[in-house]
Amino acid sequence: MLVAGSEVPNLLEPGAGATLVVSQDVDVVVPVEVHGKIKQRLREMRGLTRSAEEPSVWLPSSAELLEVNFIGMDTAGKRAGETYVLEDSELPLLVFANLSLLRPGKVVTLEGMPVPLPRPAGLTLEKLITDRSGEKGDRDLLVALALLLVCEPSDRYELVDLYRTLQPELRYAARSGLAALSLLEPRAQMPDPTPHRSLLAGLLSDLEKVESER
Amino acid sequence: MTERLHERAQRIRERLLVRAWEYRQRNYAKGVWHRLRRLLVDAAEVWIIDDIGAARLESAGHVPNPVGLELVPGKRVFLVDGIELNDIPGRRRIPVRMSADLLQARNLVLVPLSRTRRS
Repeated sequence: MLVAGSEVPNLLEPGAGATLVVSQDVDVVVPVEVHGKIKQRLREMRGLTRSAEEPSVWLPSSAELLEVNFIGMDTAGKRAGETYVLEDSELPLLVFANLSLLRPGKVVTLEGMPVPLPRPAGLTLEKLITDRSGEKGDRDLLVALALLLVCEPSDRYELVDLYRTLQPELRYAARSGLAALSLLEPRAQMPDPTPHRSLLAGLLSDLEKVESER
Repeated sequence: MTERLHERAQRIRERLLVRAWEYRQRNYAKGVWHRLRRLLVDAAEVWIIDDIGAARLESAGHVPNPVGLELVPGKRVFLVDGIELNDIPGRRRIPVRMSADLLQARNLVLVPLSRTRRS
């Protein structure tokens, strides 16, 4: 499993500084092949109970905890690349096609607990091609910015390489997302794109070079 | 119990169809918004100027970018070095984003990121 929401850039900061984004929940990505194991561990979990309305969401019993949203990833199954519902009476999952871009990355240790994170390149691209609109869509794009701010140069090369593997529609969506991100207004508790517009223009230019090579 | 998950999955699949349509439209009318945003990405500054200022830029040899002329009503969008902009009276700077001011303006000047004015 991977922790793959807006908290990732915070955790990738030196010492998990957590200065970039204020998260509203925690997204836990469950590869469909380990779904059974995750269910077993969930039975042992304390402090969270399953939401009656959204069965893949677990709600905290105290204000100190965040809501946990379990989402599915299918990279090798027959339905890899599709968005579908993994039916299960205990932990049903919405499996998102674009999560197949994620690859395991660093494991950050927080108070003795290992937290597995995805490699930044795949998560950044996944956030850029988000198709959500309004507040949620803007937040996804700003999380992509936060990830770019903690990326190593090698992550950026990896992002461009990963971009090359996408279908034309998704490549266009990534470029559109990057353009939209560059023009977003600052939002409270999220990174401000304004001082980083040169970085975003440079990345967009790199992606466009891939198009001109084709 | 999983009805809501199925509804969300269906909405995502529907949005994918819309995205595919938008991609096919990228070189036509729908794509003009992406092209306008793309111009703005490379802009450090955006200024609104009046018709007289726009005419002055045109007479100085500046050609409006085709993107603005694709819009209805069309707008003249110039890419101009910041120093030249100093000669245009009544100019008004606006934030670099798709704002109401930007969309209502008849004439815009974009100062490219790499040639930002130092003032």
